[in-house]
Amino acid sequence: MNKEQIIENLKTIVQPYSEETSALAHIDENTDFINDLKINSANLVDIILDIEEKFNIEIDNDSMAKMLNVKATTEIIAAKLEARAGQ
Amino acid sequence: MLGNDIVDLYLAKTQSNWHRKNYLDKIFTTEEQLLISAAENPDVMVWLLWSMKESAYKIHNRKTGIRNFAPKSLSCTIHPNTYGEVNIDGYAYFTKSSLQTAFVHTVAAPNYNQLDEIKITIYEAPHYLFDYKSTKPGCVSHHGRYLALVY
Repeated sequence: MNKEQIIENLKTIVQPYSEETSALAHIDENTDFINDLKINSANLVDIILDIEEKFNIEIDNDSMAKMLNVKATTEIIAAKLEARAGQ
Repeated sequence: MLGNDIVDLYLAKTQSNWHRKNYLDKIFTTEEQLLISAAENPDVMVWLLWSMKESAYKIHNRKTGIRNFAPKSLSCTIHPNTYGEVNIDGYAYFTKSSLQTAFVHTVAAPNYNQLDEIKITIYEAPHYLFDYKSTKPGCVSHHGRYLALVY
């Protein structure tokens, strides 16, 4: 899965937790979950759990700590997918 | 420096499903999860602990410049009369909470003695103060029907 595909999947995941339709439509690497999409911090946990289910990966606490924007989140997902493929 | 966090319990019920598998484990320490499972009202305990973490984070974030999402690294201890303490990376923040039928609200301060001096104003929609920023609150929290300001 390439970066664009990860971002596309991520967009579907975050959509139900944001009412910022314009920011959602223009989602890119620089999009911040809290500042731009106004996602409630308690819902960030749901996003992490949705990511784990969708990509079949496990997000450890150190990774989760960084997952406040699309760029960091995409990088973490890509790294986890790569690690799994290498097993 | 002050922190504060309000949880509209009605909105929280529809917005977050903490019963979801692995949800609590991502946010709460083992001790906190025990407090939740032993609580008479687990729902209120979840949001009490959450508002303690959020209010402490709001100070810690400004103090250290660290912005992250690591709720489990903020460890809560509940003292009598809804006082509490949140520890993170060697820092301690002191909290005082208010448990109401419709909301849970917590204020946090770096010193225990400051807690009783904090002035708290909670507005319920649609009675928001028009230009609350001009009142220079020490921290602002907004959730659902509520706006909480501390000075």
